[in-house]
Amino acid sequence: MTSKSSPILRLIALPISFIIICLGILVILGGHITPGGGFQGGAMIASGIILSLIVYGSRDNPLHLSHDFITKVENISALGYVLLGIVGLVFSGFYLYNVGADIYNIVPNIITTIFHYPDPTNAGIIPYLNIFVGLKVLVGLSAVAIAFYGFNNLNIDDE
Amino acid sequence: MFVWGPVIIALIIGFIIGSRLKNKVGLTFSSFIVVFIAAILFAWQYGQFPYYDDFNIATPFVSAAIGLLLGKLVFDR
Repeated sequence: MTSKSSPILRLIALPISFIIICLGILVILGGHITPGGGFQGGAMIASGIILSLIVYGSRDNPLHLSHDFITKVENISALGYVLLGIVGLVFSGFYLYNVGADIYNIVPNIITTIFHYPDPTNAGIIPYLNIFVGLKVLVGLSAVAIAFYGFNNLNIDDE
Repeated sequence: MFVWGPVIIALIIGFIIGSRLKNKVGLTFSSFIVVFIAAILFAWQYGQFPYYDDFNIATPFVSAAIGLLLGKLVFDR
């Protein structure tokens, strides 16, 4: 498919991917007050990467995600999600308690200050959870698409 | 009032993704400047979304675009 991609597609796909990725980041960061969130934003960023993969192919892909990069981002985001939950468990007794908002006043003030998200909505840890989920979905969906693309190329080679 | 949190985090996420950006397509630096101007126009059309602060553009969107370009420039792959 890649060698058959038209010059117009090859010219415009990367700028469109660029804009789609920015839009996905915006959807992740507004997830606690607007429609969207971590999964939706991560899927939008992954769609930008997949567009680039389909048009340019895996060899010439300008947004190439290596195996190491995917592993590191996936691990960091999963660990971050679990650690945020454990912070709630340690300081309040409830897993994933919103220590940044602390609506029951059971968490020390210093912890609430640390995990307070700097925006006017007093959302606490929800935006941080959105960010971790977004990063995880972004690399997860991209990995699936990259794997399918590789399998497709193997099938073409066999034929 | 300016909301700093989303701007900083958008910059970080953009930087992470931009660090993977390789120029294998033949786009020059000026092409990326044009894309960045298009991103600013896009953010202006978005308006104050989603925080409705004093700026008339979607600041996390612009910040993500800056992060992508910074990641590309710093790692220069």
